[in-house]
Amino acid sequence: MNLRESAGIALGALRANKMRSFLTLLGTIIGVMSVIAVLSFVEGLNRFVSEKLLNAGANVFWVDPWGFVTSQEAWEKVKDNPAITLDDLDALRVSVPHAAMVVGQADTRALARFREKEVRSVNIRGRGAGYDVIDDISIANGRHLTDLDDQRRRMVCVLGSEVAQELFPHGDPIGQPVRLGAESYEVVGVTADKGKMFGQSQDRFAAIPIRTFQKYKQERGSFGIAVKSIDQASMPTAQQEVRNVLRGRRHLRPGQPDNFGITTSENVMELYHNLTGGIFVVTVGVAAISLLVGGIVIMNIMLVSVTERTREIGIRKAMGARRRDILAQFLVEATTLSLSGGLIGIGVGVGLALLAGAVSPLPTAVSWPAIILGIAMSAGIGIFFGSYPAWRAARLDPIEALRYE
Amino acid sequence: MLISIRGLHRVYEVGSEKVHALDGVDLDIAQNEYVAIMGPSGSGKSTLMNLIGCLDTPTSGSYKLKEHEIGTMSDDELARIRNQEIGFVFQTFNLLSRADVLHNVELPLVYAGVKHEERRRRAKESIELVGLTDRIKHKPNELSGGQRQRVAIARALVNKPSIILADEPTGNLDTHTGDEIMAAFKRIWEQGNTVILVTHEADIAAHARRVVRMRDGRIESDVRQDTATMVGAAR
Repeated sequence: MNLRESAGIALGALRANKMRSFLTLLGTIIGVMSVIAVLSFVEGLNRFVSEKLLNAGANVFWVDPWGFVTSQEAWEKVKDNPAITLDDLDALRVSVPHAAMVVGQADTRALARFREKEVRSVNIRGRGAGYDVIDDISIANGRHLTDLDDQRRRMVCVLGSEVAQELFPHGDPIGQPVRLGAESYEVVGVTADKGKMFGQSQDRFAAIPIRTFQKYKQERGSFGIAVKSIDQASMPTAQQEVRNVLRGRRHLRPGQPDNFGITTSENVMELYHNLTGGIFVVTVGVAAISLLVGGIVIMNIMLVSVTERTREIGIRKAMGARRRDILAQFLVEATTLSLSGGLIGIGVGVGLALLAGAVSPLPTAVSWPAIILGIAMSAGIGIFFGSYPAWRAARLDPIEALRYE
Repeated sequence: MLISIRGLHRVYEVGSEKVHALDGVDLDIAQNEYVAIMGPSGSGKSTLMNLIGCLDTPTSGSYKLKEHEIGTMSDDELARIRNQEIGFVFQTFNLLSRADVLHNVELPLVYAGVKHEERRRRAKESIELVGLTDRIKHKPNELSGGQRQRVAIARALVNKPSIILADEPTGNLDTHTGDEIMAAFKRIWEQGNTVILVTHEADIAAHARRVVRMRDGRIESDVRQDTATMVGAAR
């Protein structure tokens, strides 16, 4: 009795009882489906984050008054730290030998306007030269902000593509005066499209020189410094140099804690991994429970099936089926059952993931390890929970079985 | 000797009581005999049939089938003997209801490990023998009782067993259909097969060349009858 025969018999039995089979498989379907859907989502997020965050922020760390705060407690400790100033920025620019780039960063929101056209809640970025590398943006039209713009506190701006689109649907924005909040800025450049991240447009901003920002908008914005080290290896050295400079400027004695914070993309990734790790654990828990329930249901239905087919087992034994033939038949049947549940679950899970990816900003990617895991889990369920009913079937007495009504 | 039974006992324990279903049976059956085992219910004929069919093992005594001692065999060895040496025909047909005629007839060959093509060929041959080639794709519930029993006979013959063992093969059939089935058994016997019928009906037993009567777990009589007596008893 080969595998194909047994699987054929099993599929025949499944087809004969479609509704019952479906209800039986519901637990397995839901279990596998949730694993696939969530893992696809996490996988999508992973790719997205490592692509966007790590690439843009390669060898970059950020200096601000607070550092990477992840709890209320931590916030209490750092909330009164002194602000980072332009003088700090200038000091870092000249005395951090392992920094390739030191860029001031400040952000606020304002209304952008050109003649009668308005764009609300535009992210106004005060940026030093080099911001294009840190923010990972490129110019589609015109030029970037320069150091000279910054030194002279020029009233110039680079528009994000979305803002430019909305303010200048037809004409060329370069050289035009745009109001950002209370002041007017000359457009010198428009960036290339970056698309959306978590449903947020990344092109809805206007960048102006950091000193211009400081002069007109500082009271409404926070100030930080992005430092890009020469290479990966000099990251720790560069961070230490930054700490030394800032501690010196703030007259901190040895033993006193830093009253500023340094954040690396690793910090962000760590938090991110904790977060998705949590999602993963919860999913595995939910899936384990539904698979356990699914397995018990399969065991139950297999016991019913063995009882219903006692006569058939008797016939097969009379025709020369050995114990292992009957065992194999029912094991294959249970596994076929659970595997069909698994495949349906994978189908629905992948479908859900793709649907979610299509209609919502959530990034999703089908995760092959998750699909393999789903197949392995459902097959394992069939074998594990099918063993007992199959064993019961195999050791039926042929005479009793033939006599069974 | 095809079948050689000596001092066969089969004891069932029902609660604390011991029931001697077979109480010392000696029986020899040669190749190409046509034997009817008769007796009222409780006589032990079903127990004897189960033992001859290798579905059960004796409590004591010896049962040799083609020099294989059955009494000491394991479950799997018994299954192999059933597969190779015994062709069963049951009162209630015992066909697989979800499988078509072809698959039902193939079943013994599946467990014999015969390859797919060969299986198909031999099953079709066997089905032709009972004249059901035009019903090959039908399910048992699409067939009449007589047709079902012919499928069962085709299945019993398909692996060329040493013994065709039929348990009340006409019990669920009307007289006319029953006669057809008995004619089929006669043909099978004439082709050189050994046929053992278990029945409580005298006119069915009359088709056989030898009648073994059972009572209280023992053989009461063992009579060979010639063709003339046989036909006289049947008609």
